[in-house]
Amino acid sequence: MIKVDRLSYVYSPKTPFTKQALFDIDLKIDTGDFFGIIGNTGAGKSTLVSHFNALTRVQKNSGTVLVDDMDLSAKKIDLKKLRAKVGMVFQYPEHQLFDDTVFKDVMFGPKNLGLPQDEQKERARQAIRLVGLDFDAIAERSPFELSGGQKRRVALAGVLAMRPEILVLDEPTAGLDPAGKRDIMQLILRAKETCPTVVMISHNMDEIAAYCNRIAVLDRGRVAGVFSPRELFGSEKLLAECGVELPLVTEMAAGLNDAGIDIDRSIISEDELVSAILKAGGYA
Amino acid sequence: MRDVTIGQYYPSDSIVHRADPRFKIVILILYLVTVFFCESFLSFGFMTFFAVLTVILSRVPINKVLKSLKFILIILAFTTFLMMIFYKDPGNKPLAEWGIFHIYLNGIYASVKLGWRLLLFVIMPTVLTLTSTPTELCDALESLLKPLKLLHIPVHELALIMSIALRLIPTLIEETDKIINAQKARGAAFESKNPFRKIKAMIPVLIPLFVSSFRRADDLADAMDSRCYRGAKGRTRMKKLHFHVGDVIALLFWCAVTVCVLFLKYNWLGWGFISAWSL
Repeated sequence: MIKVDRLSYVYSPKTPFTKQALFDIDLKIDTGDFFGIIGNTGAGKSTLVSHFNALTRVQKNSGTVLVDDMDLSAKKIDLKKLRAKVGMVFQYPEHQLFDDTVFKDVMFGPKNLGLPQDEQKERARQAIRLVGLDFDAIAERSPFELSGGQKRRVALAGVLAMRPEILVLDEPTAGLDPAGKRDIMQLILRAKETCPTVVMISHNMDEIAAYCNRIAVLDRGRVAGVFSPRELFGSEKLLAECGVELPLVTEMAAGLNDAGIDIDRSIISEDELVSAILKAGGYA
Repeated sequence: MRDVTIGQYYPSDSIVHRADPRFKIVILILYLVTVFFCESFLSFGFMTFFAVLTVILSRVPINKVLKSLKFILIILAFTTFLMMIFYKDPGNKPLAEWGIFHIYLNGIYASVKLGWRLLLFVIMPTVLTLTSTPTELCDALESLLKPLKLLHIPVHELALIMSIALRLIPTLIEETDKIINAQKARGAAFESKNPFRKIKAMIPVLIPLFVSSFRRADDLADAMDSRCYRGAKGRTRMKKLHFHVGDVIALLFWCAVTVCVLFLKYNWLGWGFISAWSL
């Protein structure tokens, strides 16, 4: 559970470069949520999520962030405990690979947690398998000689090996081809079986609509609202207000509806669209 | 990491900011040479007056200037102190002594002058970097070094290397920040007190940083190639440096200051007040 209460954040306070990134953010992310955060570039999404594992510290008198029972606005936080609990995957996580073998790189997190060596190895092994890589074929190779998609999986494994309870992802599928995107999303769903809470920033509305159960829209540092996908993508008024694009499937459903075919405009997944088209055509 | 200021430009709209960077550099060199000729407290005061005037005209907040001098000030205090206690003046009686340490009146004068001189030395370059962007400085240097082309020194290429390096400093800082954050999120501890451990903790940052620098360099080379970059030959610039009357006046003014300081030192006309203030 993450609870954000009246959180504000100012970059470079008291300089000519000062810029307020967050204004009085209120947000509650429950255990078990697949929570989406959307908004334009510069809306403060990354700044917000970097508070969740105290990479960005809550500024003085700027609200509170609670992760389970840990108050992140407190002066002293048990960072080790927090970072084991909240796993953070940044944009282009493959840029953080450094070690000479995949196995060692994935072990970096568990090692930093101070786990016994057997446990470190076991966790790394499991994580590499969890992200769908062939452990025996890949473990002793250099991460730098892998393909882009493989590198990203290794980077994800590096975070998953810490066995977080909350997984925070900043545009996990950016820069991948459609098949690669789908693979990564499937992998995240698989990870969600053991890591109950997932928070995801994305610009891809198809992913947001298909996977998230709740969506926060950020607009210039403020929360424009928290909705279910159907609420958000089903209401043209909300979409216009928040400046959000439609997912591809919803756009198709709306187009068919405009063309006079009896299809609901608030469709948000491929399966729904397919069965609605079949039904409209009299096949189901 | 964001506090690292190599290009410590402070944006503002003052006459010092607007001045032609070439003239600023020439004036700075003139100023530094002049400081060498300062000998009496009178000439130090004289130079300080104009240095402070420049700081005021630049409209950079004084605490910003002091902050960028902070590190120098510590070294300065240390040197001045050492100079004071080790100064030898056999002709006079020391004011105080403890074992090998002696304090003489002339020693105090000499160390104060040393400190003052150093302060004058660092304050103006600081003003220069606070009031000119790295790009401006780079262009100015290229323009000033142009005569070296006759000696077949590749001035343009050197200037390009410098400006690319300067341009990428903020990018690299940002990149470093990101990588540090990513490794911190994986539980890396950079706060260790043990220096050996600290160096080891930097490996997960340095390797990705190198990898991305090479990638960036490759991309940049490709981008330049695809735009048919072929060095200085026949190349024009978008932002040409222009100097104005004000720049020339400033330069002449500083020449006058130099002449005044030389006067205070050599006293060519034998004026009494200068020898009276020759301390």
